[in-house]
Amino acid sequence: MSLANFLVALDAFSTAATRAFESAGSAAQLDAARVEFLGARQGQVKSLQKGLGEVAPDQRREAGLKFNAAKEQVQAAYQAAELRIAQVTRPERADDLDVTLPGPRLVLGNLHPITQTIDELKDIMGRLGFSVVDGPEIEDEWHNFEALNIAPEHPARDPLDNFFLSTAAIGTRDVAADGQPPPHLDPLPHEARRKGGGPPESVVDIPAPRGVRGASPVGTVPRSLMLRSQTSTVQIRVMERTQPPIRIISLGRVYRPDDVDATHYPMFHQMEGLYVDRGVTMAHLKSVLHLFASSYLGSAVRIRFRPSFFPFTEPSVEADFEWNDGWVEFGGAGMVDPFVLQSVGYDPEVVTGFAFGLGVERLCMRRHGIRDIRDLFRNDVRFLRQFVQT
Amino acid sequence: MIISWNWLKDYLDLTASADEVVHRLAMSGLNHESTTPHGDDLAIDLEVTSNRPDCLGHLGIAREVAVLWRIPMKRPEARPPSSGPAVKSLAKVRIDCPELCSRYMARVIRGVKIAASPSWLANRLQTVGIQPVNNVVDISNYVMWECGQPLHTFDFGQLAGREIVVRQAVAGEEFLAIDHRTYRLEPGMCVIADRDRSVALGGVMGGATSEVAPGTTEILVEAASFSPLSVRTTARTLNLHSPSSYRFERGIDVDGIDWASRRCCELILELAGGELADGVLDVCRGERRLIQPIRLRLSQIPRVLGIEIDREEVRGTLIALGFTEIVNQPAGSANRRQPDMAADTLTFVPPSWRADVTREIDTIEEVARIHGYDAVPDNVPVPQFASQRTDQDRALSRIRRVVTAAGMLETVTASVVPREWTESFQPWSTSAAMHTLAPLLRGADALRQSLIPSLLSARRDNENAGNEGIELFETAKVYLPRPDRLPDEPWMLGMCSQRSFLELKGILETVLDQLRPGAQWCVRRASRQLLEPTRCVELQLDDRLCGYLGELDSAGRKRFDVQGATTVAELRLEVLTQTVTFVPQHTAVSHLPAIDRDLNLIVPEPTAWSDLARLITSEADSLLERIAYQETYRDPQRDGPDRKRVLLSLRFRGSQRTLTSDEVDACCASIVRACARDFQARLVQ
Repeated sequence: MSLANFLVALDAFSTAATRAFESAGSAAQLDAARVEFLGARQGQVKSLQKGLGEVAPDQRREAGLKFNAAKEQVQAAYQAAELRIAQVTRPERADDLDVTLPGPRLVLGNLHPITQTIDELKDIMGRLGFSVVDGPEIEDEWHNFEALNIAPEHPARDPLDNFFLSTAAIGTRDVAADGQPPPHLDPLPHEARRKGGGPPESVVDIPAPRGVRGASPVGTVPRSLMLRSQTSTVQIRVMERTQPPIRIISLGRVYRPDDVDATHYPMFHQMEGLYVDRGVTMAHLKSVLHLFASSYLGSAVRIRFRPSFFPFTEPSVEADFEWNDGWVEFGGAGMVDPFVLQSVGYDPEVVTGFAFGLGVERLCMRRHGIRDIRDLFRNDVRFLRQFVQT
Repeated sequence: MIISWNWLKDYLDLTASADEVVHRLAMSGLNHESTTPHGDDLAIDLEVTSNRPDCLGHLGIAREVAVLWRIPMKRPEARPPSSGPAVKSLAKVRIDCPELCSRYMARVIRGVKIAASPSWLANRLQTVGIQPVNNVVDISNYVMWECGQPLHTFDFGQLAGREIVVRQAVAGEEFLAIDHRTYRLEPGMCVIADRDRSVALGGVMGGATSEVAPGTTEILVEAASFSPLSVRTTARTLNLHSPSSYRFERGIDVDGIDWASRRCCELILELAGGELADGVLDVCRGERRLIQPIRLRLSQIPRVLGIEIDREEVRGTLIALGFTEIVNQPAGSANRRQPDMAADTLTFVPPSWRADVTREIDTIEEVARIHGYDAVPDNVPVPQFASQRTDQDRALSRIRRVVTAAGMLETVTASVVPREWTESFQPWSTSAAMHTLAPLLRGADALRQSLIPSLLSARRDNENAGNEGIELFETAKVYLPRPDRLPDEPWMLGMCSQRSFLELKGILETVLDQLRPGAQWCVRRASRQLLEPTRCVELQLDDRLCGYLGELDSAGRKRFDVQGATTVAELRLEVLTQTVTFVPQHTAVSHLPAIDRDLNLIVPEPTAWSDLARLITSEADSLLERIAYQETYRDPQRDGPDRKRVLLSLRFRGSQRTLTSDEVDACCASIVRACARDFQARLVQ
């Protein structure tokens, strides 16, 4: 037996024995505990003594000293318990109670700060009429790129910037020359798609995507798999099976290769919002983000848009909110690109929509004053205990 | 991209300050990163999004400023005088790989004098972050930073056969680059070769053998268009990124190549002397991009932006950006029949340098960003919409409430783990884990199939940090492969505790009770890798496996290097969430008195509590309200070996009337008889 293992066993012994003696309520219970722990024949102390013999000779002296100390401590606990039980105490008087003694505390756990941030985001967006949908983290290239107007030559598709899976592509997507899939492959016949409003059901698994005229490639396309690099994939999955109006958010893990440092981690969380209906404009986008930021930050804040570029929105903007006399980057947003609407079978002449996305970690770190993103994933209990639930 | 403030002002009569300019540029699409003084100049770093390669030169930025301030932009004419013989008589150019290089333009200057650049040129290059080399090389860089078109200058005297062949690299071909390192090339890479060997890597880097050096007297100026994808792949493969490859990757203005070539020659003649051969070798093998006119319906502007923009402002902005308006509609067009529509519609041809603008929506974005998004209101009424929480979220938050109330801390661990973890512990699947091509974190490339190894690793890290009270849980997905479909991604609740088996089981039972009060679930012994066989169970709910619970065995403790007792549990949430009782339904409570009885039964050692409880419940029928386990004792001297005493409490209550003590005693007696019959139980009197 190694010294380390012996010490672990010794520690377990003295903790358990002390606890048993302290909690014994009667002479019989105390005696039973004594036999279990200190019994001369079969008590745990006996087997520990045996273990002492197995410790390497050069470490035995240290082990012996520790053993004697632990044994003495356990014996003292036993004697204290014996005294406590044997003592015929005088009846307790009302003023014996020391009201300044600590009461036994409840040990509560708490949620991870990322979960708490996500819950807050869901709560605010829920009040603004956005329902939560879930989608797969392992995606095909159609949902992660093509349907989002990210062409094969776009730098975002570089294998070095994504986590592709080594697994062989799963199946193929048969698309006829006119861009329509053969009927047997269309998992969602048109009639089955939702016609009315209301929130979509949660999207857990959807089979092969529908081909769309003019948007999807012609021929047989192998679907290589990857860890999704953005939650926008869920937009596509929802629109593929739901008719407008749509007002959803999706939250979850996304993955992008990055060298780990204080602000980068290859796995992080995003929130993506989508609102598609007749008559949705950029003014709606700005107003919703304004309401969101004001709710999240607790007071009315100013918000501004700066032009930017994302393949799946046009126009695209970066949204900032004003905080402590400066502008803080909040996330990307824009009007859903007509190509994206077309690729899921919507008519961009009839409906418009906006989408926005933001990084959860950044909001979470700002909210709690966390400086290093790695702390979020180290899971040190001293870190985790700090985030008492609000 | 870093620009020089003094340089930018060459093209504009500008009175605005640099701060004003960068602010307005940031608000119209060029994000401001930083401004750093550089001598009497300012180095201004602007972020250029990947759709705007036209802004990768000072002229492009100047055009934006000119549009914002509605002032003219002055572009040099670039008309270098030629005096030498026809260039055709001096050199030859051939493109063998039009898919990698669609156009190649060469001009030749003879009699140059290589020297250091004048200080104004050297200063400007240093401001934008380039080290000056010599006048000719510096000029080619200067023109690239001026208009965004990369150029290359060859020592023409070093080109064997005085010819340029643009071709694909041969597999294994070696190339000595300007950095004097040798690179091994692959097919798909575009090389510029002379008669004998490759002398440059097209669009990526020049070669050492034809480098313009102090002794050079003849120059061949290359201005070409290389395929973005091939340049990107080449630069990535060889890890050779240059300002040139950066621009080719994003796409250059094919119609601007000639201007860049002329401008480069003009400056060489001016600063290095020499004589420009007459004409140009212009090989154009690719298909020219046909620029289609775009119809912009003014009514689409408020439909997308939510604000109106005046017709004249729309025209002014697009024309200033270089768009050409087509005024006369062709006869017989739809507009004749619908005059209203004609009034609503403007037609423009976008400039050649704006390949990103091809559709109506793109022109709307152009108009909007110049107009400024500050004009878009942030207080319009948004239609009301009912939202619902998903069952999944409601179940998850209930589970988290219970588990945190039990004192456990939620963790977030990585979804991709070391292979050894998925191989040594596979509770949910027999298929091998899926792998990422590149590891997510060092050594982690397997998509996890269980949360437990991740939690055990977090447990170990906490132990190593000397922490106490390491009670961890996580709610996350695992990834189970399925043939020919996306993998299954079930949500799991994983727990890893220092408590005893039964204590953790109690937490698990509380979770189940809170999700589905009164649900019929049962446990049965099971075996799992790394778990103690005597302390491992599976949980069944509605005859479906919904989880397991166990204590780590010594191999498991060793495998994950954890000390002390470790119990783990994992629940598959979909089995639970599908049947959660979200809104509890009321049952009337009885106001009749209850009668309590304790039973102390001596039973043979292997008797399971669950069997005993099931028998007692069925025997007592409807009189029994509650059965509660109290304690187990063992006293071999009085009860014999292999016997244990099980103490339990029963509460009886009638639903319609008050029970009598005799009735309850009779019921207890029949319970004891049944237990004696089925379990050889004996009542301790």
